[in-house]
Amino acid sequence: MSRKQHNLEALSFHIAMTVIAVLALALVVAPSLVVVIVSFTSGFSLKFPPPGYSLRWYVELWNAWQLQFAARNSLVVALWATGLSILLGVAAALAISRSKSVSARVLDSLFMSPLVLPALAFGLAALMFFSLIGLPVSLLTLIIGHTIVCVPYVVRNTVAALAQLEPTLLESSAILGASRLYTFRRIVLPLIRPGIISGAFIAFMSSFDNVPVSLFLRDAATDMLPIRMWQDLEGKLDVTIAALSSILIIATVALMALMERTTGLSKRLAG
Amino acid sequence: MKSAAIAPGDVTRYGLGLAAPLALVFAVFFIAPLAQLFYLSLHNDAVATVWGLGQYVKFLTDPFSLSVLGATLLLGAEVTLLCLVLGYPIAWLHQRAGHWLQTVIILIVLLPLLTSVVVRTFAWIVILGRQGIINSTLQSLGLISTPLRMLYTQGGLVVALAQVQMPLMVLPLITAIGRIDTNLADASASLGAGHWRTFFRVILPLSMPGIIAGCTLTYAAAITAFITQSLVGGGQMLFMPMYLYQQASTLQNWPFAAAISIIFLVAVLAIVALFSTLGRRARINGDAT
Amino acid sequence: MMIDRRRLLTSALTLGAMHAFPGLSYADARPLVFATFTGSWEEAHKAVLVPAFRKASGDAPVVLDPMLSVDQIAKVNAAKSNPPIDVMLHDPGPALVAIGQDLVEPFPVENSAYYKDLIPEAQDPNGPAPFFQVVGLTYNPDTVKTPPTSWADLWNPDYKGRVGITNLNSTLGTGWLVEVARMHGGSEANVDAGFKALEALKPNLAAVAANPGALATLYQQGQIDISPGNFNAIQILKARGVPVEFVAPKEGAIAFKTTIHIVKNSPNKELAFKLIEAALSPEVQTTLTEPPYLIVPTNAKVAMTGEIAKVLAKDTDELKKKFVFQDWKTINQQRASWIEKFNRDIKI
Repeated sequence: MSRKQHNLEALSFHIAMTVIAVLALALVVAPSLVVVIVSFTSGFSLKFPPPGYSLRWYVELWNAWQLQFAARNSLVVALWATGLSILLGVAAALAISRSKSVSARVLDSLFMSPLVLPALAFGLAALMFFSLIGLPVSLLTLIIGHTIVCVPYVVRNTVAALAQLEPTLLESSAILGASRLYTFRRIVLPLIRPGIISGAFIAFMSSFDNVPVSLFLRDAATDMLPIRMWQDLEGKLDVTIAALSSILIIATVALMALMERTTGLSKRLAG
Repeated sequence: MKSAAIAPGDVTRYGLGLAAPLALVFAVFFIAPLAQLFYLSLHNDAVATVWGLGQYVKFLTDPFSLSVLGATLLLGAEVTLLCLVLGYPIAWLHQRAGHWLQTVIILIVLLPLLTSVVVRTFAWIVILGRQGIINSTLQSLGLISTPLRMLYTQGGLVVALAQVQMPLMVLPLITAIGRIDTNLADASASLGAGHWRTFFRVILPLSMPGIIAGCTLTYAAAITAFITQSLVGGGQMLFMPMYLYQQASTLQNWPFAAAISIIFLVAVLAIVALFSTLGRRARINGDAT
Repeated sequence: MMIDRRRLLTSALTLGAMHAFPGLSYADARPLVFATFTGSWEEAHKAVLVPAFRKASGDAPVVLDPMLSVDQIAKVNAAKSNPPIDVMLHDPGPALVAIGQDLVEPFPVENSAYYKDLIPEAQDPNGPAPFFQVVGLTYNPDTVKTPPTSWADLWNPDYKGRVGITNLNSTLGTGWLVEVARMHGGSEANVDAGFKALEALKPNLAAVAANPGALATLYQQGQIDISPGNFNAIQILKARGVPVEFVAPKEGAIAFKTTIHIVKNSPNKELAFKLIEAALSPEVQTTLTEPPYLIVPTNAKVAMTGEIAKVLAKDTDELKKKFVFQDWKTINQQRASWIEKFNRDIKI
C-alpha cells in the first residue's frame, strides 16, 4: 500500500468512526434536550418546535397534587431503600470481598442476581408473597422490594472499592496496636467511602426510577412517581409531565456533577 | 464475637457473619417469593389447588403466547445490535480522547442511565410523533408531504430502546477497549494492515469481553423495558412484560402469570448463559493470540 | 463488636418497621381512593368534584386512581377483604358484574340529600348514576373535510392509516363493536359480523388505544384523524384548541349511564358516601355541564343547556328517544371471550 493510499485509508476509518460516535452521542443526549425545550411550550400539545414559550406548565406543576403526592412517596421509599441498602450492603461487601471461600462466592452471586433476573418477575413474586403472608401493600412493602433490587449496586461498588484497598495498610494498623473497629473507622471507611457513596447514589436513583417492582407493589394510596407519570402519559398526554421531566433531568445533571466532583463517578463506572 | 471462619491473626478480612443480615433479607424477601412464584406456576387452576404443568403446556402450545415470546426475543436482538453498532464508536472515541473530553463522554453516556426511564421514553413520544421533531423537520425541508408513522412501529421502538439502553452497552465497552494494549494496534498498522483491517482483526476481537458484557446487559434490559415498550410500541404490540402484567393485574390469572414469569426468567437466564459462554470462549481465544 | 453491629441492624430494621411507618396501621391512615376513568373524567373530577368533596369533608385526604372499570373490578376482586379502592365508577356492563360478584356496598339512600332529586333512571340503591355518556364518532375537522355520518365511514379507504379504535376493555370499544355487528346483521348476542368487519378495517387502523382517554391523546398528538369516540372525552381538548369534533352517526349514537359505588369492605365508607353525595349535588353537576366538561347531568334540578342541548339532547326524555341503549346483560355473557379474541386478532 502506498503512503498516500494508507493515509486515505486511515482517514476514512477515523472519519467513519468519529462521525458515528458523534451521531450516537447526539442520539443519546438529544431526547433530554427535546424534553427540556418542549416543557417551555405555551401550547397544549407536544408539537416541536413549540408554537411559543412560557412557564405555564411549571406553574401547573405547583397545583398537580397527585404528582406531588406520588413524588413524596417515591422520595420516602428511595431514601429508606438507600439507607437499608447501605447498612446491609456495606456489611455484606466487607464479608464477601477478599474471601475466596465458596460460600462467599455463592453469596456474591446471590446478592448480584436481582440485576440479571427480570425485575418484573420479582415484582409479581413479591406481590404474591406479601399477599400470602397477609401483609397488605404499603410503603413498607415497597421499601422491602426496592431494597432487594437496589442493594446490589451498593454491594458491587463497595466490593470494588475494597478490592483496591492495600491489605498492608490494615496489617500495619494492627501491628501498631489499633483495634479492628478503630482501623475500620479511621482507615477502611474513609478509603471506601467514595465507593459506598457512588453505589448509594445509583441505588437511590434506581429506586426513585423503579418501575417493575413498584408496578405490582404500589396502589393508589402509595402511588409512585414513575407509575403516576406513565399512567398520566398513557391516559392524557399532559404537558405538565414535560415540565416535571425537565426538572428531573436538571436535578439528575446537578446530582451527577456533584457525584463527579466528590467521588469521581465517571472513573468509577467506566474504570 | 470470634469469627471462626478466619484465622484470628488475619486482620485484612472480615467474617462472613457480616453478610448474614443481607443473606437473611434475601432468603425471606427474594428467594422465598421466587420459590412461591415457581410453586404457583405448577398449578393447573386459578386458585392453586391442582398440581400440574398445565400453565406451561398452555403457554408452550399456544401460538399466540409463543409469538409474544418470539417478538420479545427478536426485539431484544434488534436493540442489542443497534446499540453495539452505535455504541462501539463512542467507546472507541472515548479511548482516543483527552482527559476532559473523556469525562464529557462518560457523563453524556451516564445521563440517560440516571434519568427516569419514563422521562426518556416521553422524549421519544415527542420526537417520533406525527407533529414531532422528525416529521416537522422533514416536512419543512419539503422531503415528505404527509407525516411518517414512526410512533407505534417496531422501527421507532427499536431506536427508542437503543437510546434508552445505550449506557449499558457503552460502559463495558469503554472498560474493555481501555484494557487493550495500544501498541498492538500500532504494530498491526505499521505492518501495513490498514486501519479497517486492524480494527476488525485486532481491536474488535480483543474487546470481545466488553462486547459480550454490553450485549448481555443491553439485551436483558431491552426485553424487560415495560414502560418504553408500552408507550412507544403502543397498544397493539404485545411483549412479554405487558403480557405478564395483563395476566396478573387485569385478568388476575396468577398461576398463568407466574408461569409466564418463569418462562421469561428462564429465557433471560438462557441468553445470559449463552453470552457468558461466548465470553469465556472469546477470552480463551484472546489469550491464545 | 459484630454482635453490636448486628444488634444495631436489627434494631434499625425494627425501628424502621414499627415506628417510622404510621402507614403500617394501613387502613386508618390511607386516603380515600376514588377510581375514576382516565382522561377527561379524571380532569373533570380533579378540578370540580375533588374540591367540592374536600369542602364537604373538611379537607379529607383523597387520591384519584384512574383506570377502566374492568381493572377496578379485578383490583377489588383480588383483595375483597381489604380492597385498594373505596369508590368505583362503572358503566352498565361492569356495574352488573360488580353487583353480581358482591363487590359493592348498598348506597345509604336514606342519608342522601340528593338521591331523591335524581331522574328515575339514575336512582339505583346499589349505586346511583352521577352522569350519562354518549358514544358516537369523533374526527379532526382539519384533516377530515366532510364530516362522517355513519359508522361505515371508518372503512372509507381515504382514511388509510388514520383510524383509531380502543380495545374491548372499555365500554366504548365493546359498545362500538356491538353496533358494527348490528350494522351487519349481528346483535348483543352475536358479534361475529363485527369481528369480520374489524378484519377489513385493519388497513385503516393507525392505533389501538388502551382506553378512551388514550384515544383523545392520539388526537392531540395528531396520530389519528377519525375514531369512534366519547362525546366527553374530546371536550377538554377541543376547548384547548385541538381540532376535534363529535358527531352522532345516522345509525344512532350509543348512550348509557355511569354509576358510582361504595366498595364493599372499604375502610373509608363515610368519606366514600360524602364523595358520592358531592357527585350527585346540583352544584357539582351544574359546573360539570359547563365547558370544557359538558357532562350530561342526572340531577333533575340541573338543566341540559348550551352545547349539550344543541348536540345531544334537551332533556332525558329526548336522550332516551334519540340514542341507542344496549343490552349489557346479554353483552356481559360473552364479553370476556370477545376481549380475548380481540387482543389476539388485532395486530397492526
